[in-house]
Amino acid sequence: MKRREFLRGAAVLAPAAALGNLAHGGQRAPAPAPPPCPVTLLPMPDYGRDMGKEIAAVMSEDGLVLKGKKVLLKPNFVETHPDRPINTNPAVIAQVAHACLRLGAAEVVIGEASGHRRDPWFSVLNPKLRSILDKRVICMDLNHGDAVAVPNKGGLTGLPAFFLARPVAEADVLISLPKMKTHHWVGVTLSLKNLFGVLPGIYYGWPKNLLHFRGIERSILDLARTVKVHYNIIDGVVGMEGDGPIMGKAKPVGALVLSPFSLAADATAARIMGFDPRKILYLVQAGRFLPGLRPDDVVFRGENPKRFATQFDCLEDFKRMRGGPFF
Amino acid sequence: MDASRFADRLLSFSLSDGGLAYYRGNASSAEPTLLALLGLFAVGATAQSTKPLLSWAAGLQNPDGSVGLNPEHRDQGLWLTALSAIVFHRLGLKEARDRALGFVTSLKSVTVANDPNIRQDNTLVGWPWVPGTFGWVEPTAWSLVALNVCGLGGHARAVEGRKFLLDRQIPSGGWNYGNPGINDRELLPFWDTTGLALVALRGRTDVDRVRPSLDLLEKDQEKIESPCGLAWTVLSLESYGRDTARLKQRLLGLLNSLPDDGLNAAHFAVGVIALSGKKVFLP
Repeated sequence: MKRREFLRGAAVLAPAAALGNLAHGGQRAPAPAPPPCPVTLLPMPDYGRDMGKEIAAVMSEDGLVLKGKKVLLKPNFVETHPDRPINTNPAVIAQVAHACLRLGAAEVVIGEASGHRRDPWFSVLNPKLRSILDKRVICMDLNHGDAVAVPNKGGLTGLPAFFLARPVAEADVLISLPKMKTHHWVGVTLSLKNLFGVLPGIYYGWPKNLLHFRGIERSILDLARTVKVHYNIIDGVVGMEGDGPIMGKAKPVGALVLSPFSLAADATAARIMGFDPRKILYLVQAGRFLPGLRPDDVVFRGENPKRFATQFDCLEDFKRMRGGPFF
Repeated sequence: MDASRFADRLLSFSLSDGGLAYYRGNASSAEPTLLALLGLFAVGATAQSTKPLLSWAAGLQNPDGSVGLNPEHRDQGLWLTALSAIVFHRLGLKEARDRALGFVTSLKSVTVANDPNIRQDNTLVGWPWVPGTFGWVEPTAWSLVALNVCGLGGHARAVEGRKFLLDRQIPSGGWNYGNPGINDRELLPFWDTTGLALVALRGRTDVDRVRPSLDLLEKDQEKIESPCGLAWTVLSLESYGRDTARLKQRLLGLLNSLPDDGLNAAHFAVGVIALSGKKVFLP
């Protein structure tokens, strides 16, 4: 089955009461206007370059306090293909982990509940990833482990609670580390969509089909309201264009996108990819309760984003989401 | 294989409540407990040593026969009921087995209309991970294994389940988590899912229908590195009478060398079953 088609049908099964809440051009949160969200573009032309010191400096400048904290890094591992940049690159994961140690984190955990591939050997327990990590960094397979039920603060999916992997629930600081990719159901997958991977597969399956049935966009929004993310670093060194998140092609961008604000990071990354975030349904809706959707919401640090702006190829369905130039 | 050493290592994951955790530091969970029971059964562990595990697992059964993840979330992870039925069957809990099978045969995946442009039959009923959702390869395969092992391989649900699995087979061999392809492009096969699906189809399916998957595992065996990937490859190839001597050597070496840090007890248990040569997943 073509999953996009399936999901169109599955949307019919979502609670009718929730449908009225999802529409393009939804209302923004009322005034007062929030302070600008800092977004930093760090040039990283290839994965061989060690950016640990620069990443630590930006996180520190953004006010992220890690000293003595339990930090959980949430990369994006879906499945592994030898020729496709599907997952957050291990070099980026390692450098962020080491930046956290540099900033005094008491514990750094890399945790992921991979969405397609159940075998953690292809995710955070891969020996190649572990071999480049400081020995103090812990890798945890979140698919197979303890979870705690936390009330769903959104309500769009109709799910009363989410079963959150316990290490995520118990972390002091959660850092989302997604890959910059197109997504064949919702347009783009970045920091907000990355939160699917805090939900264990033993509860939700492979793929997390319950979330598909309840609506991917609704699920993203419910998770965004329920799970507090403290920082976001998007791996745009080499992104994925076309039929993402697993069947697309490599798209070098050469940058990391860093921000304490998930929506600001995602909206900026979308603009770099050549998409107008105000045409992407779930980003628009997230703008009702998160800051960072409008260009005016964002203050740029580091490199001028114009340097990295490009146009990601995408499926025909999503060409209507294109826009720009933005910078 | 040093059976008693492997048994001891498996039991070292058990906790004071009687269950067994996926990873050290976690709470007891159904899947590692159930697979450990089968691993211990396969290496001939005494009933005395497995009693706390079996008692913990049996205590998870709900009034409708289903078995969930753990005592706190017993309404979650009901896909584990199929694995529970296998364990109850092997360890002689007939009444619990029959109730579990009753639930398994009543649990159906949601179907949707076919798309003429896509080579996948969405009207076939398999088994879902979560009730009320679509059918996927692994829960369907576990349910088939349970029905086969318990003598219900001819059940109408099993007949359709086999059609479901064959429909989802990637044309060039193997199984992904559920779809053979997207937009006419094949998805990558997963070793563990492929092995499990092959075991589920063993005996009641024309071998020619699954030959591409068997050949794929045989051809690519050197690429397989993970404990569960190797274990399921051994289990599947061996169940079709193919040579697994080299694979078993590699699996043995891997299980002996794995440190406790990051060791998944459920995968270790499948490895032990594979090395034992005991056909716990076949009728």
